[in-house]
This record gives sequence, C-alpha cells and structure tokens, in this order.
Amino acid sequence: MTALHGVRIGPVGLRFRLRPLVVPLVALALTVFAVALSIRLGDFPMSVGDVLRVLAGAGDATEQYIVFDLRLPRTLTGLLIGAAFGVAGAITQAISRNPLASPDILGVTPGASAGAVGVIVLASGFGGVASVAGAIGLPVAALIGGLVSAALVYVLAWRRGVDGYRLVLVGIGVQAFMLNLTYWLLTIGDVSQAGQALVWITGSLDARSWADLVPVAVALAVFLPLALVGAHVLGALQFDDDTVRNLGARVELSRFALILIAVMLAAIATAAAGPVFFVALATPQIAQRLAGTARPPLVASAVIGALLVSVSDLVARTAFPIELPVGVVTAVLGAPYLMFLIIRKRREVRA
Amino acid sequence: MTPRLRAEELRLGYGDSLVVDGLDLDVVGGTITAVIGPNGCGKSTLLRAMGRLLAPRGGQVLLDGKRIDKMPTREVARLLGVLPQSPQAPEGLTVADLVARGRHPHQAWYRQWSSDDHAAIDEALAMTGMTDLADRTLDELSGGQRQRAWISMALAQGTELLLLDEPTTYLDLAHQVDVLDLVQRLHGELGRTVVMVLHDLNLAARYADRLVALRAGKMVAQGRPHEVLTEDLLREVFDLEAKVIDDPVAGTPLVVPVGTRHRT
Repeated sequence: MTALHGVRIGPVGLRFRLRPLVVPLVALALTVFAVALSIRLGDFPMSVGDVLRVLAGAGDATEQYIVFDLRLPRTLTGLLIGAAFGVAGAITQAISRNPLASPDILGVTPGASAGAVGVIVLASGFGGVASVAGAIGLPVAALIGGLVSAALVYVLAWRRGVDGYRLVLVGIGVQAFMLNLTYWLLTIGDVSQAGQALVWITGSLDARSWADLVPVAVALAVFLPLALVGAHVLGALQFDDDTVRNLGARVELSRFALILIAVMLAAIATAAAGPVFFVALATPQIAQRLAGTARPPLVASAVIGALLVSVSDLVARTAFPIELPVGVVTAVLGAPYLMFLIIRKRREVRA
Repeated sequence: MTPRLRAEELRLGYGDSLVVDGLDLDVVGGTITAVIGPNGCGKSTLLRAMGRLLAPRGGQVLLDGKRIDKMPTREVARLLGVLPQSPQAPEGLTVADLVARGRHPHQAWYRQWSSDDHAAIDEALAMTGMTDLADRTLDELSGGQRQRAWISMALAQGTELLLLDEPTTYLDLAHQVDVLDLVQRLHGELGRTVVMVLHDLNLAARYADRLVALRAGKMVAQGRPHEVLTEDLLREVFDLEAKVIDDPVAGTPLVVPVGTRHRT
C-alpha cells in the first residue's frame, strides 16, 4: 500500500503522506522570502545587509525606527493574522463540511466590524457613551463584538446539537444583521469617522505596532497547538453524525471545542487588523488542493494564510502610487477564486 | 446463553412522535440477526438506539450486561461498530483513508498510527476485496464497491459486534448477494455477531440465524426463519398475501407474493 506511511516512537505514532508535508515547507520558505522583501522595500529601501545590520542592533536611529517600529511589527502582524485566519478557516470548513464556510459565517468578522465601527463612531460625541467607547478601545470592542456575535450564531443554531448546515444558514442571517448594524453606525457618524471605519472594515495593516502583534502571537501560541491536538478528532467530525458517534468521538463536545478555537483565533486576528477579506475562506481550499488531502490541512493552512497576507500586504504597500489596505488586495485576489469555487460546486451538483 | 446486546422495554422517538414503544430484544453472541418489517416500522431507529446513536425515551440498552449509555463512548466503539444507512464522507477521501478512520477508537491524538492499525486496515481491505482500490477516492467507485469500502471501515474498527443498517440498499441483486456473502464470512471466519436491517425477506431468511419482525414499533415475532416467515405473519406484519415455500437452494423459507393479478 503506497498511500499509508507511519512512524512510531515509543507511545507516539503518526501517519503521514509526503505531499502534505512538502507543501507547508515550500510555503514556509516562500513566506520567509516575502517577509524579508517586506522589511527591505518601501519608501526607504534597504539592502539585505542593511536590514541584518539593523536587526543586529547597529544602524542609525532612522533605520532602527523604520525596521523595528514600522516594518517589522507590520510584517509580523500580517504573518500572524494570516496564519490565524488560515487555521480558523480550515476548522470552520471541516466542521461545517462546506468549502464556502469561513469565520464570517460563524459571525466573528461581521460582529467584530460592528464592534469596531461602534467604537470609532461613538467615541466622539454622544455624551457619556463616548467615554465608555473610548475607554474600551478599538481592538477590545472588535474582540467583544466578534465573540458575542459568534455566541449568538452558536446558540441560535443549537437544536439538540449543532448541525453544520444549520450553522451556515444561521451564520448568514447573523452576518446580514451585523453588516446592517455596521452600516447604520456608519450613517450616524461623521464623514471622517466613516472613512476611518471603512478602512478598518476593509482590513488594514497600516501602522500596526507591537501592541497589535502581541495578542495575535499569544492567541496562536495557545490555540494552534490545541487545534493540532484536535486535528485527530476533526478528521472524524467530517463524516455524518451517526458515523462520527460510532467512531467513539464525543460529537458535540469536540465540535464546540474546535469552533471555540476557530472563533478565538479569528476574533483576535480581526481585532488586530480588521476582517481581511477572503483569507480565511480561500486559504484552506488552496492548502487542501495543494496538499491533495480530503479536508483542509491545519498546518498548511496556517503557513499559506501567512504567505497570502504577507504577499498581499507587500503588494498593497509597494505596488501602487498610493498605499492600499491589505483587505483590498486579498479581496481582488479572493473574489475570482470564490467565483471559481461556486461555479465548480454548481457543476458538481448538476453532474 | 447470555446476550451480548440487549434492549429492555425500549421506547424510541423523534420530536413528538414515538416510533418504537416498549420493545425487548436479545442478541446472542456469534449469531446473525436480521430485523425485518415494513417501511417506517422503526427498524433503523431500533438499530440506531442499539448502537447508542439515539438516546432512548425509556428503557435501556445493555452491552455485555452494562448500560451502553453509561459506558465511555470510545470503549463502546471498540466493542460495537455501526454502519448507518447512508453514511457520508468528505469529497475526495480515498478508500485507504476511509478504512484507516475506522481505527479512530483505538487511537489518541499522540498515537494516530500503530502496527496494529496497519494490520487491521490491510486485513479489512483484503477481506472485502478492496486492496486494489485502496488509492481510489470514494466518488470514483460503483455503488457496490462503495458499500464494500464502508464495510471495510466497520471491519477495521475491529469490533465483535456489527450493526448494519440496510447494507444492501441501492445494490442490484448480484451485489446484494455479494455483500451478504461477505457478512456471512465475517460471521463464519471471524466470529462476528451481526445485527442487520434488511428489506429483502428471502435474503434475510437465507443469511440470518434469527429474524426479528417489527410492525409499528412493536415486535410481532422473533425466532428462526422458518418460525417467523409464515403466511400468517406476512399478512399481519406486511399486509401481504403470499405463499411461503422452501428455497430450492438453501431450504430456507422463500416468500412468493400473490399480488392482485393472481388473487383468486
């Protein structure tokens, strides 16, 4: 049998195939390259030697400022939110058994947008509300909005268990509600706030600092290992519920734990950079096709998500006369891909 | 003999409706039991409850004398395997991956592979004649091959008890016989205890040691095929006018329906 390889070391045993191992490694190499480019390029180009010199602690104050305060935190934030969205998307798609599902469907990103726009709009004016909104701060409001909205989706989709299909349907409803709430908030704010809010809900890495980076790094450090532990159950959760139960998996508990991981990752990433369109949706599908597996692979999704956001931000920052929000680039890349998926799906349904 | 699997005063239902009402059933180890009855009589519901996929409204299911709902679900999964009526797998899954998934109850997140797994998977594929198709994806297979792949998965699970919900649905007669011959071999060569829901009465009589006839969620008769498949019972359970003769090949009862055209 060619398809199955396994290794055993003591009580630890893993099954592996070559392609799913090679894909993340290649993607990782490309990501390192993209990160290196991203630190070098910009209004103030630097050579690799310059960057290495500055990283080692040398270089003048300007160079230090550009590398450590501008480019490095921005680049690394992009990298980490890409990884977080990738894993969150992979888990969501595996659980809902639907390649069109993403944390948007779980309510996370629309809820986070409503929370963030709420703070932006309400922080000025509106009397007492303003001080409260200002004190909460934008990332925290986004996080709360995302988590509340995800909880709403989960509770509304619950009917003696959560079914993947019902989760998607309820999620679309909550998404519509949150979007309209966001638009309403935009209309009551003044024009400059609306502009600021729109940049945020497009997803932007502009002026990200270490303070934005740290929560995402912590979230990944906590939830990525948990997701990898859960990956074994995730493989079983892809079958119909009777088959999953037959295999001795605790369906509702595992599903809840994995959805929680996806929601936390997506909410914290959204709080850091806004809902960067299509990353969570397209990444797992790209990873799955490249790795040739039957479900979105978690590690490959993390690395490809990081690569996608890194490259998109590099393009958004350097390819045009004006700097674009990264969400515009990922949307331009992602929209045709989404159409391709839908058309392919329709063909399958007809066939 | 003490039963391996036992249902006591089982009451089952979905939503507001009660499908099975007060049913007792003993499944003795090393036998093949076929559950028969008209559409909607609660056959599949009964099988799902016996395999702890459905929580009973009342009564209980005992596995080796212990309440199945009180046992850890992984422990149950190492003793009892259920093949649902129309199981669903993700797109693009290969036969080898499907069958390997049957090892889930024997694995943990840090131990996803062992030589036992390898042996069980190879054996399951060989037993069902799927070895050569191991690298195909499920959507590339014919209905009969797909059914054999799912049975392989249930086999790889390595359970002594197997509950099969209509393993022959959507298959032509030759493939039905093929699948049931396989079930017969699991029983004969590996000593598995099998409970299956079957629609074809003649095949049920041919392959099962015991028949259980249900109507409207109640057990009407159980016993050896000759005791259960009688002309009176067919009328009572299926509202079917039929002659029962001896199967010229196996000597088991053979149901020959009368139908309106030949009614006298």
